[in-house]
Amino acid sequence: MSEVISRDEVLKIVRDALSDILEIEPDTVTEGQSFADDLEADSLALIELVEALEEALSEKVAGFTIEDESLEDLKTVRDAVDYVYENANESV
Amino acid sequence: MLPVAVDAMGGDAAPQPNLEGAFAAVAAGTPVVMVGPEDLAGLTSGDVTLNLIPASEVIGMKDDPAQSVRKKKDSTLVRAAEAVRDGNASAMISAGNTGATMAAALLRMGRIQGVKRPAIATPIPVPGSTPTVLLDAGANADVQAEWLVQFALMGSVYARRGFGIENPRVGLLSIGEEPGKGDALRKEAYELLAHAQGINFVGNVEGRDVMSADIDVCVTDGFTGNVVLKTLEGSMQFLIGALLEAFAQPEYKDHADALMPALLPLYERFNPDTYGGAVLLGVDGVCIISHGSSSPTAITNGIAVARELVEHDLVGEIRDVIAAAMPTDSHD
Repeated sequence: MSEVISRDEVLKIVRDALSDILEIEPDTVTEGQSFADDLEADSLALIELVEALEEALSEKVAGFTIEDESLEDLKTVRDAVDYVYENANESV
Repeated sequence: MLPVAVDAMGGDAAPQPNLEGAFAAVAAGTPVVMVGPEDLAGLTSGDVTLNLIPASEVIGMKDDPAQSVRKKKDSTLVRAAEAVRDGNASAMISAGNTGATMAAALLRMGRIQGVKRPAIATPIPVPGSTPTVLLDAGANADVQAEWLVQFALMGSVYARRGFGIENPRVGLLSIGEEPGKGDALRKEAYELLAHAQGINFVGNVEGRDVMSADIDVCVTDGFTGNVVLKTLEGSMQFLIGALLEAFAQPEYKDHADALMPALLPLYERFNPDTYGGAVLLGVDGVCIISHGSSSPTAITNGIAVARELVEHDLVGEIRDVIAAAMPTDSHD
């Protein structure tokens, strides 16, 4: 399977977005962190993240969206990276 | 100046109070653009015709704030925030869903760089003095100590630009005046505030001080701030109701008539309509959040407040003070 975007690229995008939204250093964001417990991201911050990811990904994947129904399943940074990686490359 | 965008469909009795309030604002010289359904286009009162930004959806009072902003992209709230973002309006005002107003402003206008979390700042009337700016009045139930420092900075800017208070005195709401009073959050925030640059910190204050002339800005978390605000509103309603009931007794009528000239200005001062609403601080634009039960007068006054804060460059000064405080934050 050829990739539109690599997993490392997705991780960087997620880290950068979280850094902007939560005003933290990107390097401090690790995949095992929970949005709620470790990063103290509230529901509004998560929506900010989703919109930031959609905007960042739209350059590489036309029409990329994160389904609202999937938001409940995104508990950790790893969940978000996996979701974006799989869905961005799904149609390739 | 650019018009103030008014969410036509926000509030319990929308659109009527919003339309009446907007007509009065335009008549008083403030440009306004309504954001609402197409059938509101071309509404006229006397010589005034209201311009319209069309929006086909409405976010209800009980809708989930963040999700509704995401799903209802053609809602009046979202379009109003976009009008500010896109330079078609100078500010926005809504009497609708408070959480959704905050979400729309945050997601569409964006946060001022360096701001950890936006906060809702509510002016609390003070007898014989300028109001006390209470923040956060409900945006963030859980906060960190360093956010409270930013709230103090932003609240001070609002007190300066909104009420002309040159060097606003900032109090930290706690359960005693001594530095060691309060929970862990309050103790940590006290230390940060006491050493912060650009904040005229006067120490801890108690609930009874919120309506006193001893402070100009009262900083707290959104949970506590909202409880304080609602408690004050309820207390004032009770007090006014009890007074009116007593005055309605036939034997007191003459006394009541004699007292009315003194009491009415006081009533006006405590009437939430006077200030038109709270201000969302920390987003990259002026956003006024009005009460769901806002009268036309409240909307007119809210529009006037929005205009004043735009003209006094509230957002620009918040941007400057947050930027100036950032190096200090990074050392902490």
